[in-house]
Amino acid sequence: MNGVAEALALGFGSGPVCVASCGPVLLPWLGAEPRKLGPTGRLLAIFLGGRLAGYLGFAVVAWAAGLTLPLDLRSRSLVFGLANLGLALLLGFSACFPHRASVAPEEHATRLYQIDAATRFRPPSALTLGFLTGLNLCPPFVAAGVRAAATHSLLGALAFFALFFAGTSVWFLPALGVSWLRRFSAVPTVARMTMAALAIYYAYLGIVSVAAWRMAAARAGNLFIFISGMVSHA
Amino acid sequence: MPDKAPPSAPDLPRSIGRSLLLSVPMALFTLLLFTPVIRQPGRPAKLAALVTWVFMIALFFLMMRTRETYRWRRVFFIALGFLFPVGFIWDLIALRSSMSIPMERMLSGDTPFCFMVIPMTLIPAALTKTIIFPGSILPTPSNPHSIAMMVALWLLATVILGKAWCSYGCFFGGLDEGFSSIAKKARIRKINPRWRLAPWAILVGIVLLSAATFEPTYCMWLCPFKAVTEFPQVRSTQTAIQFGIFIALFLGLVVVLPFLTKRRTQCAFFCPFGAFQSIFSRTSIFEVRIDKDKCGAGCLLCQNNCPTMAIDQESIRAGKTLSSCMRCGACIDVCRKDAAVWHIKGTPVGLKPERARLLFLYAGWVFAAMFGGSIIAHSLERLIGLAM
Repeated sequence: MNGVAEALALGFGSGPVCVASCGPVLLPWLGAEPRKLGPTGRLLAIFLGGRLAGYLGFAVVAWAAGLTLPLDLRSRSLVFGLANLGLALLLGFSACFPHRASVAPEEHATRLYQIDAATRFRPPSALTLGFLTGLNLCPPFVAAGVRAAATHSLLGALAFFALFFAGTSVWFLPALGVSWLRRFSAVPTVARMTMAALAIYYAYLGIVSVAAWRMAAARAGNLFIFISGMVSHA
Repeated sequence: MPDKAPPSAPDLPRSIGRSLLLSVPMALFTLLLFTPVIRQPGRPAKLAALVTWVFMIALFFLMMRTRETYRWRRVFFIALGFLFPVGFIWDLIALRSSMSIPMERMLSGDTPFCFMVIPMTLIPAALTKTIIFPGSILPTPSNPHSIAMMVALWLLATVILGKAWCSYGCFFGGLDEGFSSIAKKARIRKINPRWRLAPWAILVGIVLLSAATFEPTYCMWLCPFKAVTEFPQVRSTQTAIQFGIFIALFLGLVVVLPFLTKRRTQCAFFCPFGAFQSIFSRTSIFEVRIDKDKCGAGCLLCQNNCPTMAIDQESIRAGKTLSSCMRCGACIDVCRKDAAVWHIKGTPVGLKPERARLLFLYAGWVFAAMFGGSIIAHSLERLIGLAM
């Protein structure tokens, strides 16, 4: 019972940092999506589901690897890098190819648009975005990971993460307010422009992380050659 | 600005005596502001303060005499824009022999606080009571540009003037206004109006990223004016990339595009603080309105001459400017039918617009003299000191 309360309290206490961490992806994307509260809530729920899947996936890997912190520093650079590149790609596509419902109603009425929309790239699902942000570990997640690892069972760790996630999710509810902002006709355009700018930022982060991974791998390789050379010399 | 039609009755110049009379309150009030500087020891400081005071009052007198706002405000604003970096760089060189700030100085809170940071600090300050800027709350000997002073000045000006901050207070805007004034004709005339929304996108992006990373994202990555003020010391690939971005944005948005378009492109299509300031336009009682009864010829002179594209046909039909209007007065000065007018909220549109203009100018020019004037005087002091 104490564990349940602890996980919930940890999640609730660190929720604002989680919201701040996911905000750059979630809020502009919701701003470019359909306007009503119901669909926005559904999308938010799916996004959070994707985020939970990302969390739990990482928790399983961390457990299987038997590490306190998920993966070693080098592998984390690669995972972060790929997750950021994935986010950049999806945000870029979302900016270029808006959801049908976010386009002006008069455009819907035209047959030409319907044909065009059918052949267009489908914007990424909320699930994918949520999953990728889940992989982008934020400090509260690491704190929860350390605590979950101490539960000594995989199911216990997963349950701890799920409850921690529930605690953080409360802080995501204000994101529903984006549907209210959609009353302003400029909001979808601003949201798409923001996504385009953020896509560049995430692409930069992704490239830097992958480059860091490459450099670390190269250095590790050099070290291996150096050590084997020393051994053979001896 | 294109040539104007012959002046209509209200556009006739005021008499010299009446213009002088209207300038006297401003002269006395600004003299009070400049007196402490004039009393400072050293001839350069005295001379600089005196020159600045005369400059500000001469421009105000000309505004009264000619009834034109934009033309004379622009002179002040360009002077502010070009002199601010002179004094700022001078101080940096005197303080540490370089325009770049090393990381250790940033960590010790020596970075001067700039108003651009204000929107980025709000969410982190609300969530964690932390100001995500390496400055100091109160002035220190090594950093007199403190956070408290700048926020207080900004609040005061914003409540009274709203978005007019961007035309009477911003020490960066004068640079792109200056470059936009060089060419006689715009080489790029057609600009997609959708670009007007770009500052909002930049604002949302930097606010969200600053909350996520706890860093002033705009200052670190996107501020074009870092190129002419202060930038992080180039010690790594990242700082080299940042420096490259600052230079590219400065040349593109502040020099080349204003020259080609004759618009304040940085202010209109990029500046996130301008977008943030638009939110507070409602706090100010001063605004620009379009008298629909007088307008109607469809000349679109106001639309074509607005430096920030804050007027379009829809807004003309609605009788008002867009929220991005900086109250620079260009549309009012150029209107041949006196349809574009200064207006005080709560009064009928077109009722004694000159009185509304006077009230706005008294408030705006006091702030301009207090904030911009002190910056001009500071830079002039350095230049006069060099010459003497």
